[in-house]
Amino acid sequence: MGESSSASYIRMVQHLIEQCLVFHMNKDECMEALAKHANIQPVITSTVWKELEKENKEFFQAYMKDQEEKASEMEAVERRIQKMLAETAAKDSDKED
Amino acid sequence: MLAVEPLRGSSGEDRDGAMGSFSVADDDFANEALLEDISFADLFMGIDYEDVVPDLELDPAEIFAEFSVGEEHSGSTTAGETAEGTLGVDGASQDAVVAAVKEHNGGRGDEVMSAMTREASMVTPSRARPSLPDGNKGRTPSAAAAAKGSQGKRKAKVDWTPELHRRFVQAVEQLGIDKAVPSRILELMGTDCLTRHNIASHLQKYRSHRKHLLAREAEAASWSQRRQVYAAGAGAKRDINPWLAPAIGFLPPPPAAPPSAVQLFRPLHVWGHPTAEAPLVHMWLRHLAPRSPTLPWAPQPPPSPPDPAYWHHHYQRGSREGWFPRAMTQGAPCFAPPLPTARFPAPPVPGIAPHPMYRPPPPLETKRSNSQLHLDAHPSMESVDAAIGDVLAQPWLPLPLGLKSPSMDSVLVELQMQGVQKLPPARG
Repeated sequence: MGESSSASYIRMVQHLIEQCLVFHMNKDECMEALAKHANIQPVITSTVWKELEKENKEFFQAYMKDQEEKASEMEAVERRIQKMLAETAAKDSDKED
Repeated sequence: MLAVEPLRGSSGEDRDGAMGSFSVADDDFANEALLEDISFADLFMGIDYEDVVPDLELDPAEIFAEFSVGEEHSGSTTAGETAEGTLGVDGASQDAVVAAVKEHNGGRGDEVMSAMTREASMVTPSRARPSLPDGNKGRTPSAAAAAKGSQGKRKAKVDWTPELHRRFVQAVEQLGIDKAVPSRILELMGTDCLTRHNIASHLQKYRSHRKHLLAREAEAASWSQRRQVYAAGAGAKRDINPWLAPAIGFLPPPPAAPPSAVQLFRPLHVWGHPTAEAPLVHMWLRHLAPRSPTLPWAPQPPPSPPDPAYWHHHYQRGSREGWFPRAMTQGAPCFAPPLPTARFPAPPVPGIAPHPMYRPPPPLETKRSNSQLHLDAHPSMESVDAAIGDVLAQPWLPLPLGLKSPSMDSVLVELQMQGVQKLPPARG
C-alpha cells in the first residue's frame, strides 16, 4: 500500500472524471455530477480536471473539438424541430378557420 | 460444541442436517456446501460463538441485547434476551450501544464493536426480521451481520489490497468461476492471513460484480447495435421530403410515441432518484429528430438510450446498494483483475482510447448519421449516477480511459491555491 489517502482520493476523482469523459460530459457537467453523486467538492473536480488536461493535452483538445461539433449538430437539429413544430401549429390554426 | 439453535423458520428444516455437521464434521465442507445455496446470514448462524468473539469475557447475549434494545438499556448490563430481532438501531442509539459495549469490554471489544456499529447501518435495511420467534435468534443475525459487515472476519481486519485481490482472481479463474470454492481458493492463494470466511464473502461480492459487468456489457453491445441500425435507416431515408408528409400527422405522434420514451424514465423517477426534468425533455426532442425523416407511423421502437439507461440503472442500483465502501480504504489500486468486460466506451481520439464499445461512430462518418447518433449519446442522469456509483464501490476497476495521471504534488499545490487545504478520506 504505497499510496496516501489524499493520493487515493485524487485517483478516485480522476477515475470519476474519466467516467464522465466516457459519457462525453463537459467540465461543468462533470463537476455537477460528481458533487451530486459522489459528494466531491466542485473545486476539487475542477482542479483535477485541469491537471488532467495539462497532462493529456492532445486528448482534451480532440475531446473539446468533438464536443463543439456535437453541440453545433445539436443546435441544428433542434432548430429543425422547432421549425417543424411551428409549421404544424400553423397548419392546425389554419384548419380551425 | 455448538449450541446451535434450530434455524430460522423458512430455511430451518433443510439445513438442520447440514448444520448439525458443524459440530462434528469438517467445517470446510459444511461451509462450501452451503455457500451455493444459502445466504451468508444462514451460513454464519452456524458459527460457534467462541469463534466469533473469542476474547470477550461477556456473554454475547449481553452485547446484542444492548444492540437490539437501544438507548434505554445502554447503561445497564441487561443479560436478558430482550431482543426481539428488530435490529432497528439508528444512529443515535448506536452511539449509546457503542458506549455501553466499550464500557464492558475495554480495549478488546473494539474490533467487534466497530464491526457492530458499522454493521448496524447494513443490518437495519437488509436484515430486519421482526418476526423472529425469540431473542436468541435475534442475536444470531446480528452476529452474522456483524461478522459480515467487518468483512467476514472476527478479529483482524482484512485489507483486500490490489495484490491480494489479484491473487484471489487468479485463483478463481484457475478453478473456474463456478467451481471456485473458498477452501480451494485459500489453498491456491497460499496465504495464511485469510480465513475461509473472508474468501467466501469476497467471492460472493466478486461474483455479483462480474454478473453486473457482463450484463452491462451485453446491454452496451445491443445498444451499439441498435445505433448502427438507426444510423443506417435514418441516413438512407433522409432524402425523402421530410417536412410535408409527416407534418400533418406529426403532432399526434409526439405525444403518443415519445411517451414511450418518457414512460421509461418514469419508473426511474419513482425509484427515488431526483432526476431533473431537463433530460426528459431532451430525450423527447432527440427522439423526434430521428423520426422526422422517416414516416411517423412506422412503428419504431423507442430509441435505445432509454433502454440501456433503464436496465443500466436497474442493475447498477442493485449492485451499488449492496456494495458498501468497505474494502477500498486505500482507494487506488494499480492492478487490473483480468476481467475482459471491464471496458468502457472511448472518446473519438485515435491512439489513446481502448476498445470502443458503445459510442458514437468516429467523426469520419457522414455528418448526417453522426448527428443521429450523437443525439443518443448524451447520458441520462441515471446512467451517470450508476457509473459513478460503480467507481465508488469498486475502485479496483481499471481507469476507463487510462489518461496520464497528473503528479500528486502538482494537484495538491493547485488545490491549495484554490483554497482546499484538506481532502476528505478516500471512502468518505
